[in-house]
Amino acid sequence: MRDTIWLIQRTTLAMLRSYKSLLLYLLTPVIGIGLAFLIYSGQGDVSVRIGIVNQDGEQAVASDVVHFLDSIRNVEWSDVQEEEARELVLAGELDAAAILPSGFSAWVKGGKEEFPIELVALEGSMAASYIRSYLDPYIGNLMAIGRTAQSGGESFDAVYAKYKAAEFGLLTEDVADTSAQRDMANRAIGYLIIFMMFSAVNLSAFMIKEKENRTYFRVLASPVSAKAYVASNVTVNMLVLLVQMAIMLVVMIAGFGIKPGLPLWQLVAVLLIFAWVAVALSLVIVAFASNSMAASAMQNSLIITSCLLAGCMFPIDGMPQAMRTIADFLPQRWLLDTVSKLQQGAAAADLTMNVLTLLAFAAMFSMLAIYKFGRNRDARTYV
Amino acid sequence: MNVLQLKKLTKKYGEFAAVDQLTLAVQEGEIFGLLGANGAGKSTTINMIASLIPITKGEIELLGKNIAKNGKFAKSNIGIVPQELAIYEDMTAYENVRFFAGLYGLRGPELKRRAEEALAFTGLSDKHRSYPRDFSGGMKRRLNIACAIAHRPKLIIMDEPTVGIDPHSRNYILNSVRKLNEMGSTIIYTSHYMEEVEELCTRIAILDHGKVIAEGTKAQLKSIITDQKEIRIDVRSATGLDTRKLSEIAGVRTVTVNDEQNSVSISTDAEVNILNRIIQGLMAADIEIRSVEESQPSLETVFLTLTGRSLRDS
Ligand SMILES: Nc1ncnc2c1ncn2[C@@H]1O[C@H](COP(=O)(O)OP(=O)(O)O)[C@@H](O)[C@H]1O
Ligand SMILES: [Mg+2]
Repeated sequence: MRDTIWLIQRTTLAMLRSYKSLLLYLLTPVIGIGLAFLIYSGQGDVSVRIGIVNQDGEQAVASDVVHFLDSIRNVEWSDVQEEEARELVLAGELDAAAILPSGFSAWVKGGKEEFPIELVALEGSMAASYIRSYLDPYIGNLMAIGRTAQSGGESFDAVYAKYKAAEFGLLTEDVADTSAQRDMANRAIGYLIIFMMFSAVNLSAFMIKEKENRTYFRVLASPVSAKAYVASNVTVNMLVLLVQMAIMLVVMIAGFGIKPGLPLWQLVAVLLIFAWVAVALSLVIVAFASNSMAASAMQNSLIITSCLLAGCMFPIDGMPQAMRTIADFLPQRWLLDTVSKLQQGAAAADLTMNVLTLLAFAAMFSMLAIYKFGRNRDARTYV
Repeated sequence: MNVLQLKKLTKKYGEFAAVDQLTLAVQEGEIFGLLGANGAGKSTTINMIASLIPITKGEIELLGKNIAKNGKFAKSNIGIVPQELAIYEDMTAYENVRFFAGLYGLRGPELKRRAEEALAFTGLSDKHRSYPRDFSGGMKRRLNIACAIAHRPKLIIMDEPTVGIDPHSRNYILNSVRKLNEMGSTIIYTSHYMEEVEELCTRIAILDHGKVIAEGTKAQLKSIITDQKEIRIDVRSATGLDTRKLSEIAGVRTVTVNDEQNSVSISTDAEVNILNRIIQGLMAADIEIRSVEESQPSLETVFLTLTGRSLRDS
């Protein structure tokens, strides 16, 4: 323990003496939030144009859906005919068209499964995913009311009226207000992931550098064990990632006033798990890299590509299915997914799979690193 | 007492034995020289003593304890000066020494004192706050030594500490080796410089192809070669001397001409007396003789005779 603390001091000192690494560790999280803020506040001017084909016009439920769509931030809507909807979308006049079929209201009241609103949009359209992300939970609520009414004997209209009077009104407002904030928060978290992964590899690569300047072997020739040495590096690594997280959260919440849309402790908890994943992965990279050049090449190619695929830089909702399938094998995707589920108020039980998957990534990388470290203990270049 | 004892120590890389059944004992208070050409297995041996590479076969005992079972004990009592520099460029000279000494458990005022001592000892007192990147090669080598001695190990192992440095630093290092020894450390000094080992070491082992081919004091090593003697003849000018004529004399083994010193070294069979014929040969070639001296063979000759090649060639 005493040895580890001694080594931690040395690593910390080395880190503090390198401007470049300090810049990477401390400044980038702030830049990330700034970027997210710029991107999304700029997007305030860009609106989503949707056409609504209301074939169920006279019904209260259908017109409430239209009101709801209208209440979403950045949505501009217009009444269109079904025949022209497709053409307008193809021509780019509309980003999407929503078709409410006749009998929609009655269907909702019945509380049956399946979603009858058809969205017409170009394949991979971001606008369509955006609309759908609001529409799905909304319709889900309506269906739930329908089912409740069926089983409880109360009339749909009675429950619906209560719903509209109480939560619904609040809910829509809330959704509309926080959506932009959530987008910003998610983007900032996406960038944070990238910076955390980069920093982790940088810090682990300290060990390669120490091998290259042979000080590592001098350490190993002392009574300090190789385990204590790696432990000290991992500790500093985790600490740096914690500091990055703290900076990013403080700047985001206190500085920019962006609300992440989920309880802070939940966000911190999943980020902590991810920090472990990042550190363990960095150890794998270091264990397999023969020198610091190779480590930095692996760092660039692996991290950038996987973060891109996992949706750290751009939302992947609009990406082709094949890419989204690849993303399922990336820990970053699981982190982002966990965060967005938490934002939607998912219960703990629904997240077991997510958390277990993240932990499994961490455990797998750790074991791989330990295995590989155990094998190259030979001090070839020494003396 | 034996500070270090190697018992049939072997290191194999595949089929190739870099160190081959090496048996050696280093006693307390010695400056023990490990002499061998490049690739003889010196560094590999040291790496095993320092527990940096696994042993293929055999045993190493430090102060009577097997190092495989007493790793911490062994490491605490050894100071290694690696052949290649192993220092931090981003820390000052003082910070370097302090950090490495701290690995041996030293802390506080004691650590500070020892670190300063080690720097003073290697002549770097005035470089406390300087970074090694601003150092000359010799200064870096001295810092490399300071980092290995601040914890006052019983056994200090130096792997070719004087390779490629200026004469000033070299003298400084040789003197500090003597001083360290006087202060109570046992020293193992490896080198492929014959003169250094001859000048410094109390006992010497000659290593070749991973094996000890001779071991003992200087006198003992030289007495190995009893069937040979050396004649050194100083002349007015050695230029133009035809060594072939001299070599043809029965009983002459080698003839070496040193142009700069104007001397001729001739090794001959021990039992013959052919000095007259050699002098006649020189006179016939019109070479003016200044002095003639019959001498013991040098370590260089010992090495040459035992290994069949010169240290310099390797
Ligand atoms: N890791 C290794 N793999 C294979 N051969 C090695 C390795 N390390 C050293 N050797 C070989 O072992 C022999 C002894 O090397 P070394 O101990 O460095 O010699 P010295 O220090 O006496 O110059 C050399 O032939 C060298 O090529
Ligand atoms: Mg060597």
